[in-house]
Amino acid sequence: MGGLAVLGQQADPAAKAVPAADAPNGALTIGGVIALTGNANLYGQDQRLGISLAREWAGSRRRQPGEPPLRPLHFQLQDGGSDEATAIAGFNLLIRQGVLALIGPTLSQQAFAADPIAQRRGVPVVAPSNTAKGIPQIGPFISRVSAQSSVIAPLSISEALRRDPRIRRVAVFYSQDDAFSTSETAIFQRTLRARGLTPVSVQRTQLADNDFQIPITAALQADPQLVVISIQAVGGGNLVRQLRELGYRGAIVVGNGMNTPNIYPICQRWCDGILIAQAYSPELDTPVNRTFRNLLRGSSPDRSPSQITAQAFTAYQVLFEAVQRLQRRGGLENVNLGQARKALMEELLAGQYDTPLGPIRFTPDGELVQGQFYVAQVRMDPGGRSGRFALVRETGVSGGAGGSASPPAR
Amino acid sequence: MIEALLQTLLNGAASGGVYALVALGYTLVFSVLGVINFALGALFSLGGYLTYLLMGGRISANGGLPGWGLPQGLSFTPALLLAALLTGLVSLVVERLAFAPLRRRRAEPLLYLITSLGAGLVLVNLLQMLMGAEGYAFPATALAGLPDALQVAGARIRSVQVLLLAVCAAAVIVLTLWLERSRSGRALKAVAEDATTARLLGIDSGAMLRLAFLLSGALAGLGGGLIGVSISLPGPYMGISYGLKGLAVLVLGGLGSVPGAIAGGLLMGLAEALVPGDASGWRDALAFAILFLVLLLRPSGLLGRRQVEKV
Repeated sequence: MGGLAVLGQQADPAAKAVPAADAPNGALTIGGVIALTGNANLYGQDQRLGISLAREWAGSRRRQPGEPPLRPLHFQLQDGGSDEATAIAGFNLLIRQGVLALIGPTLSQQAFAADPIAQRRGVPVVAPSNTAKGIPQIGPFISRVSAQSSVIAPLSISEALRRDPRIRRVAVFYSQDDAFSTSETAIFQRTLRARGLTPVSVQRTQLADNDFQIPITAALQADPQLVVISIQAVGGGNLVRQLRELGYRGAIVVGNGMNTPNIYPICQRWCDGILIAQAYSPELDTPVNRTFRNLLRGSSPDRSPSQITAQAFTAYQVLFEAVQRLQRRGGLENVNLGQARKALMEELLAGQYDTPLGPIRFTPDGELVQGQFYVAQVRMDPGGRSGRFALVRETGVSGGAGGSASPPAR
Repeated sequence: MIEALLQTLLNGAASGGVYALVALGYTLVFSVLGVINFALGALFSLGGYLTYLLMGGRISANGGLPGWGLPQGLSFTPALLLAALLTGLVSLVVERLAFAPLRRRRAEPLLYLITSLGAGLVLVNLLQMLMGAEGYAFPATALAGLPDALQVAGARIRSVQVLLLAVCAAAVIVLTLWLERSRSGRALKAVAEDATTARLLGIDSGAMLRLAFLLSGALAGLGGGLIGVSISLPGPYMGISYGLKGLAVLVLGGLGSVPGAIAGGLLMGLAEALVPGDASGWRDALAFAILFLVLLLRPSGLLGRRQVEKV
């Protein structure tokens, strides 16, 4: 047993000293566990792009006069698949390799499985797009730059009802085997009940479902005027398409799972008109969002800026800025990796950030505080192969994950 | 009431047709070789991807080959048929690599399961490497000329599913006629009945075996292409769930029975369609519970022959 304990200590990189900033190997490593395979890869592609843009942005930053040189960051990406086991394997691998902090995983369902590992090992995690209830509450090392569904989801319902106050019959679809979707549909259904609307049909599907003929025909028998969907992108895109093909002409509100332009090729012209609440608007006119948009245009001219890409950019940005502040304060000198990780988490939570999402900060337990949210409507091009999230309403939210996030002092 | 019943029947037939097609693929190989080809789900995926590529679909290969595609695309029907043929040829390669070496050594049937499962996993991973993990959707114009959906006495069904059902039915009829009426079909049945006697009668059992693999792969490819145009290509693993369902149908209908595969597919589809809407998430569980019950009552499946042990 004693021998095993010694082996364990040797394998734990937390005890290793953090290299000096000017040492040849002075770069600190940030790890990313992102879905590059499986159903969630549609989000993973957006996230990889966002982090790549943020690294480009960080690389172009110059030291300010009188300040020490910027601490270089190295980024190591690991495929988190679309399941819990692969995300756990990715977290374990990167933690063993001695990353300072982690970005990921892609899905809330994966976060509930993988984040406790980082928490136990004292590694800061910034979740770019985990919106299910309870993610930062996993532990003090877990934070997110994605506002929780309870703040955002009700906005799109309100918009649908504002557009047509006569709506009385609502059908709900959700994936019952996905933590995010079940969490989000509970919020949607609570919002509906608060507005005096009881769903006339609730269809429970599964994450891997793509053929919805049976649940759709069952729901359409109840003659709904509004359909509310909490399903991930590929399945959700297919559901919207099949709903329209089967003759449903009413309003459709979709959840955050479909908050990616990658749904366009799936539901094509049938995507047109769906409503979605967002934590990001490409139309936000701030310097950092302009930079984000310009970088995106330079690297991927065909892609429109998406919330998931902006959130991944933000995740890397907040870590980069927190590391630089810590470096300036001398917090990375003469410490081991475990101490640096702890100091980074404290620095991260104490900061205020001007990001493509707008000004943000964190609550002491790692929850995001963001002031502005948006409702968008998908507008497809005539060819039906590409489209955009057109801003229809901008909303300030107070309390909870919303609330005032004053611009950072820079 | 009648409208709801008709809707259930249509829903069940639409999904049951594809299950029957996959189960027929299993049946052909099982009847000749007495083993299950677990690579069939992967061949189903391959058929979907090949149809998409042959129609001029663009791939990204995880960003490695953004926008790559064939310079000229075919229309849906020739693309589907060519993809089915190509999938059949890949199935022959699977036979050569995963089955033939074991057959020469007269290996235990269990070993075929492992090698075919391995071949399927290699195939899916190759697909992922070459095509990428991202989902692809057929253009909305793939079935130009067809309306989005059809209404039959108040029941609604998507046109693509009617097409799917029609092609599955046609494939089943053609296959049955070929097995019953043609010389090569009867030769295949003879090999399935008793390979040794068939060989003594001058039938090349090796050629019949290869034919079974070719047809089995082609049926899986046909199913993959049809499902692809119906629900897009969500990823290289799309065929695995259809492969599993087809396997259940094979057992439900009776191992090696062509009419059993068809009846099993339709029953499985109908069982899924009968699940109430608000419990639709439990569809698979209910369908497999029915399988469990049928097997308890009829261990040889719906139309399977009781195995007689010769002593």
